[in-house]
Amino acid sequence: MGWHGYLALWCGVLGAVALVGYGRSLAGVTRAQRAVRVMGRIERVAEPRHGSSGREGIAVVVTFRDPATGQEFTVTNDGERGDRISTAWTGREIGIRYPPGRPHAYRFTTDPDAGRSGLGWPNFAVFLIYVGLVVVASIDWGWPWALIGFGVPWTLLGATYLPGAVRDTRLRIEGLASGGPVPGRVIAVLKDVTVNEDGDTLTSHTPVVAFTTHDGTAVTAYRTEGLRDPVGSRGRDLTIHYRPDDPGVFTTDLAAEHRSRVGEIAFGVVALLVGVAAAVAGGILIAG
Amino acid sequence: MTITPAPVSAPPTRRTPLGLARGILTGAVIGSSLAALVVGTVLEHVPLLVGGLAVPIAYGLLVLAAGAPKRAREAAIVPCTALAMIESLRATGGETSDVPVRFDLTVAPDDGPAYRVESTQSVNLVDLPDYKPGGIVVVQYPPHQPWTVKLVKRPTPEWEDRAAAARLDSAPGPVLAGEPTTGGTVGGYITLLALLLGAAGVVFVFRAELFGPDDPTDRPPSAAGPADPGTSSTTIVSAASGTVALGPGQSLFDEGRLRQAVDSLTKGEGKKRQALTVVVQDRLLTVVFTPAGSQAPGFDLDALPYPRIPALVREARTTLGVRSPRTWQLTAESLSGALTLRVGVTGADGAASLEANGDGETVRRVPAR
Repeated sequence: MGWHGYLALWCGVLGAVALVGYGRSLAGVTRAQRAVRVMGRIERVAEPRHGSSGREGIAVVVTFRDPATGQEFTVTNDGERGDRISTAWTGREIGIRYPPGRPHAYRFTTDPDAGRSGLGWPNFAVFLIYVGLVVVASIDWGWPWALIGFGVPWTLLGATYLPGAVRDTRLRIEGLASGGPVPGRVIAVLKDVTVNEDGDTLTSHTPVVAFTTHDGTAVTAYRTEGLRDPVGSRGRDLTIHYRPDDPGVFTTDLAAEHRSRVGEIAFGVVALLVGVAAAVAGGILIAG
Repeated sequence: MTITPAPVSAPPTRRTPLGLARGILTGAVIGSSLAALVVGTVLEHVPLLVGGLAVPIAYGLLVLAAGAPKRAREAAIVPCTALAMIESLRATGGETSDVPVRFDLTVAPDDGPAYRVESTQSVNLVDLPDYKPGGIVVVQYPPHQPWTVKLVKRPTPEWEDRAAAARLDSAPGPVLAGEPTTGGTVGGYITLLALLLGAAGVVFVFRAELFGPDDPTDRPPSAAGPADPGTSSTTIVSAASGTVALGPGQSLFDEGRLRQAVDSLTKGEGKKRQALTVVVQDRLLTVVFTPAGSQAPGFDLDALPYPRIPALVREARTTLGVRSPRTWQLTAESLSGALTLRVGVTGADGAASLEANGDGETVRRVPAR
């Protein structure tokens, strides 16, 4: 069997996987589509203990109601329970999903709509088919086809992503600047020590910030960036700018936030240009 | 949530025959796949490489599919929540902020007799002082596996209040261990043995290609005739070219034979002659030398990647889609500057070729159309 035989096998197997996945999605029977998605309410927030681990998130007590039975459940984020809760306040709504009929297998999710279509695997299979075709085209017709194969979809993705990113950045900065600042404080610094495969010890420190919004909401949140000397930051007073409609979006340095977002957009533009350059270079090499 | 009473029974202590068979199969698949990857790489045998990747993936998917009903059944079971008293605890090591702690617990289910169990849990160093002998904690376990106890570090307010107000008595032994141990070591050895046997099986099947220096099946058909150790050949050398024609039963595909033939054309020369073109067929070598004083781009005959040439010919014969290849020809030249090797193959399906650089690495393929 030659290269083209292997390509046919690759495309055939992955194509079958993709077809089955799309078929299941159309029929509405994927796990993601069958999952029950409800909104829970944070009833209690525990103040993190200084020096403890930040891996499991801020300890919260959450209530939610199973729409099938109407029964109310009170649960906590103990152990493996989905997305880490890194910003919490009493009354905050948080997404919860679980397989139908199994509310005890609940998972927290910060984006309740994420993965709702269940098309992750079929899309990944299509991506692998595309990679296979590009690789074989590059071997058969020359490596400039690899530039085309990479550059064109990369450019399309970048062109789709960039306008949304610019808009989100503008809205975020405007939102942060719209409400007046409030005082905040670093109430604890969490510490996690891990050992990598080379035996090196890695220590991460996560400051925990607490502040109260103008309408009296007491917010507790991890702050992984934007604080100088996080190790010794416990007890430090801060000025917090937050979005009035979502105190989970906040910053301790408005100017740094602005610089950081502008940097992200610049990175997106550079990535887009890289894709365009690859596609153009590939086209020129093939034409030449 | 409904809580099912916990039957207090000892954990399984022996491996079932099915578990043993699965261990053997897993070992054999791992061993044979790894060996197939290594042997396939050494022999440049693409189907073997593909098999070495595909078989473990297929086996993994099969195991995953076979275990799905059991996992679904277990996932549907609501875990039991109960209070437990810490009889003793001992940190068993750890270099991270979470240390493994061995707990000896008395678990007191609401609707069943209390029992003792040992369980190892990770506890953060900062939280360690919260756990003391005699202290009350909240635990969870699957109702069908009461020995698989997990500490609930963040209980709900209801259970927090119950734990704060509770007083428990120690239950008598025996202590249920968290994991079955008997049979595990033997099963591990059997899996390891299957792994080694699987690897050995692949090496045994391909022993001829791996260890045979001159296997007939490794040659092109015309060279795979009756073995003739004879060395008869005809060598014609002129100022412009040189030709070596081997006698019947020999092949330039044989190990070291091509190098020997090239050397026979240049021996006695005061200095190495540059070549314009080298053409190799099964039993025929033709070298066109660069004319003296010419500026034509030649190359040093020593620069040819002799050890890679048999592999390139084999690759061209087996991977370009030419079934039953009849003839092959290798051409080496450096007219474009860099040394380039082309291997052409013809057969019933037409012609195909591949191109390699001076290091013998394939850079282009033109399969049969």
